Amino acid sequence: MGHRQAVMGWAFAMSIAAAAWSPLQAQTQKGTLIFAVESLAAQTMDPILEARPGNATYQAAMYDALIGFNIEKGGTGPGVAERWELSEDGLTWTFHIRPGQKFHNGDPLTAHDAQFSLRRQMAPNSLASAAASFRRTIKSIDVSDDLTFRVTTVTPQIGLPALLSRAVAAEGAIMPKAYIERVGEEEFRRKPVGSGPWRFTRSVPGDRIEFEAVAGPHWRGTPHFKELHILLVPEESTRVAMTRTGEAGIASIGPESMIGAARGGLEVLSVPGTMQALFQFWGSYLPAFKDSPVANPRVRRALSLAIDRQQIIDHVMNGKASMPYPFDAFGYTEYFDAAKWRKWSDDAFRYDPVLAKKILTEEGYPNGFELNFANTALPGTQFMVDIGTAVADMWTKIGVRVKLRHYEWGSFAPLVRGDQALLAGGASMYRTVGRPDMPWRFEASFAADSEQHLIGDKTICEAACQAFAAVYKDLLAERDPVKRTALTDRMVELVSETWTAVPIIEGMGYYAINARKAGKFTAIPGRHELGDVFERIPRPDEAPWKK
Amino acid sequence: MHRVPWIPIVIIAVMISMAVFAPQLAPYSPIDQTLRDKLLPPVWVDGGSMKYILGTDAFGRDILSRLIFGARVSLIVALLALTAGGGVGLTIGIVAGYFGGTVDNVLMRLVDAAFTFPAILFALLLAVTMGQGLTTLVIAISLLLWASFARIIRGEVLALKQRDFVALARVRGCSPARIMLTHILPNVLNTFMVLVTLNIGVVIIAEASLSFLGAGVPPPTPTWGLMISDGRGRIADAWWISVIPGIAITLLVLSVNLFGDWMRDRLDPRLRQL
Amino acid sequence: MKRYIVHRLLQGVVLLCLVGTIVFFLGRLTGNPVDLMLPEDATPEDRVSMIKALGLDGPLYRQFFIFVGNALHGDLGMSIRMRQPATEAFFSRLPNTLAIIPWSILLAMGVGIPLGVIAALNRGNVLDRAAGTVAVLGVATPGFFLGILLIFVFSVELGWLPSGRMGGPEHYVLPVITLGAFLVAGFMRLVRSSMLEVMESEFVKLARIKGLSEWVVIWKHCLRNALIPVLTLWGVFVGNLITGAIITETVFAWPGVGRLTYEAVIFRDFPLLQAIIILKSILILSINLLVDILYAYVDPRIRLT
Repeated sequence: MGHRQAVMGWAFAMSIAAAAWSPLQAQTQKGTLIFAVESLAAQTMDPILEARPGNATYQAAMYDALIGFNIEKGGTGPGVAERWELSEDGLTWTFHIRPGQKFHNGDPLTAHDAQFSLRRQMAPNSLASAAASFRRTIKSIDVSDDLTFRVTTVTPQIGLPALLSRAVAAEGAIMPKAYIERVGEEEFRRKPVGSGPWRFTRSVPGDRIEFEAVAGPHWRGTPHFKELHILLVPEESTRVAMTRTGEAGIASIGPESMIGAARGGLEVLSVPGTMQALFQFWGSYLPAFKDSPVANPRVRRALSLAIDRQQIIDHVMNGKASMPYPFDAFGYTEYFDAAKWRKWSDDAFRYDPVLAKKILTEEGYPNGFELNFANTALPGTQFMVDIGTAVADMWTKIGVRVKLRHYEWGSFAPLVRGDQALLAGGASMYRTVGRPDMPWRFEASFAADSEQHLIGDKTICEAACQAFAAVYKDLLAERDPVKRTALTDRMVELVSETWTAVPIIEGMGYYAINARKAGKFTAIPGRHELGDVFERIPRPDEAPWKK
Repeated sequence: MHRVPWIPIVIIAVMISMAVFAPQLAPYSPIDQTLRDKLLPPVWVDGGSMKYILGTDAFGRDILSRLIFGARVSLIVALLALTAGGGVGLTIGIVAGYFGGTVDNVLMRLVDAAFTFPAILFALLLAVTMGQGLTTLVIAISLLLWASFARIIRGEVLALKQRDFVALARVRGCSPARIMLTHILPNVLNTFMVLVTLNIGVVIIAEASLSFLGAGVPPPTPTWGLMISDGRGRIADAWWISVIPGIAITLLVLSVNLFGDWMRDRLDPRLRQL
Repeated sequence: MKRYIVHRLLQGVVLLCLVGTIVFFLGRLTGNPVDLMLPEDATPEDRVSMIKALGLDGPLYRQFFIFVGNALHGDLGMSIRMRQPATEAFFSRLPNTLAIIPWSILLAMGVGIPLGVIAALNRGNVLDRAAGTVAVLGVATPGFFLGILLIFVFSVELGWLPSGRMGGPEHYVLPVITLGAFLVAGFMRLVRSSMLEVMESEFVKLARIKGLSEWVVIWKHCLRNALIPVLTLWGVFVGNLITGAIITETVFAWPGVGRLTYEAVIFRDFPLLQAIIILKSILILSINLLVDILYAYVDPRIRLT
């Protein structure tokens, strides 16, 4: 007993020490944290070759991002840069680098590395998803001194810091300038060097990536384990089995495995607010569908009323999901009045099949109508198929003749482009990923020149479409937080009233944890991936990690 | 010798009747969800009830009804795929074997090409190209079958060609089409029937494998393969979702194989194939 | 003999051209890898930029000519997803797959051949049918289900074996059983039918007439000759399993070629898919040629023509 208490006391002291940045924490790092995950994406250690999910899953362990997280609430927070500010004219962002950071090869991390990294992300051979947007909007990147640099943009870019944060995108990863210039790109990919709390040891393609903890204290937190192994295990039931046998400490799982995992003695961790599952209508503004039921916002609303969201949360998601906010909104969304919209959503997204039926009758569809519904799941959210299946069944129950068609994501994505001939006039499943900055996601769905253009396109842009364009333009340039929140409100209202993209549930990320292999921890709200959490995960003999 | 395998025949007959009379036999709709009744165990397990004899799945759908309708979908897939794939294979095999020479060479290179593509991969490619569905699945599985049919039938035809009655027909001036149809086809039908029977199992297993890889018949349509695949993560907490259709598949495939083995022994004992 | 080999090699080249063309165009029909690499809120502008960065712009025929030109120089392109030469990706995974295939085949032979012999010797009676049932059990359960059940029983419940993944010998047991179970029926049927054939042949009758004991007849004369066709089966299995082990590799998280192929399809990694199919075809062609030549040596009755 005494021994156990001593251990607990020691662990507690250790965690306080860690929190206090004491050098004491150059402690005993021991054991291996083994994480089994369904995909290692491109499995490359070069940040310019990897997209966001992969970056946040495994690259995050060894690279720091310019802008970090707000660990408590989700959203952005200090990172490699400890603060940043926007100039009066709204065109220049100044970033102040946290002093004393070092790359794994001992080189100091300076503003030159940040400048180099950003330029590398924008280079023609970069596969960064925002490379082209950056090339268009960023005019210059100037280093003022070792710890300060300025990014000047062509037009005001209020959201630039968010785009350089791992809370949102992968483009903020900081790479070592001197090292890459010395050894070349090829060698860098073989022996990558970053500045994160874990240093790269080896990568076995299609199998695993291994890291070793850095010994000294790190601003993100100093790892408790000596090693971190990330294993690729594509089959979910195998991941659960491996966690049960202790071959892995933590495994990513879907909602369907939760009951089995818990019954098998595993802890289940859910990360709130990682995504929103929605259904949306394509091309409903087109003249061809003028007389079709889907062109009628009231009918679209009726379809939403016919969905029993609580049933989906309780039974499809096994209780580990919640009622959604409006489109692309989460509790941690910036410049957004969450409390107000919570109330609005709880009413708007209620289950009212009687009203739904009534609306359909009033609008001339007492016997329902035929609806094409494309069911699909975006990578990493396979449970969307189950939600889509449940939604189709609920629509059937109010008399809608749902023609359900199923698409694997890679074959669904091409349908969205061009004239959307196979989707127009129908509905489909879709999702938004949890991220704190709202306008970009809205633009991608509702702007007339966007890929999805749900409420109007370049040739046909009526009231709602025009109003959206105006609000979005104002939002981009608005710096005053109060006015910005008001504009966001307006944008959310405008889009919500069209009932073209309607949230079904707010989903979560799920993990099964073997308590004999890893201690208790919590994840960052809205961040499905654990790349920025590994260093905080305690060993099983240590006290739980709290924010 | 050649005792009739009664047990397999009875099992096959039961499964076929399930497929044919599915709407009459099934107590519930196979796709209607009752989320509140999800994951109920079969009647003989604690917590089970007569309402759902074989329990329910994660959407509260009746397993028994899905099993019965699933037999229908699985057998339709098998029937269509074997007709299409087997038919093409039979035709190509006869033509290649009979004409020989360049025709044979070209057709057999095509068969070789089909063999270098792993069958599952071809089906997968097709599913991601055409979108999932019954049609895609049938085409995919037919593509998987035709080459082996063609190769084996061709071998048979090559042997038949040397026989006197074919030479005689040729001397009498019969057209190649006529010879193939009236002299060769009837003689390879035995082999063909054996191949068809032995491949029913292949089709059913292929359907299940494709469901596992996410390229089978899309939900909510019930197929045995999809049922197993959907329930595979719940073996620890709701084994009946996957194990019951698993037993059904095993029984059926076992039965058709034993039946096929018996048929082969009776009709064509020399046939050496997989 | 020489002429035969040259002829086969020529056939092989024709086949490779055919397969290469099919896989090139079939691959492009499946979609675009860019859709799977970009987030759902990417702008059309970023899309175009990435397509260009990956070299997927330009008309299809031109891309095809570039592919053919490079392939003739032995360059099968870069994997889109991993930015690694596709050939390198294939050969780095091949050893992992080849590490389980021979064991699976050996297991299948170890079970299938005795079953085949038993069935042949007891043709038509209960033992024949029992042997058939046991052999067919392996093909009657979908591989993924068998694998998951094995993991559940032997790894989770009993704790005897690891749940797959590459590692020491104990890691091989479950994947080898899962893959091998599928092959037992093939060996059993082949051995049974060739045993039956040999048992009715003249020289076995002769051996019997000479008064040799039944055991000697069966073992020395029948089985030895009946096993020759099994050799062919080896060739077929090794070739098919290189990419056919998709399911076993997925269930057991085995980083082999099957899994690589599956991912190439799902991520629309055209160059990688092309490389895998072409390299695998070359491998199969060589194995088959080798088997045929070996066959001619083992069984002098067969003449290569």
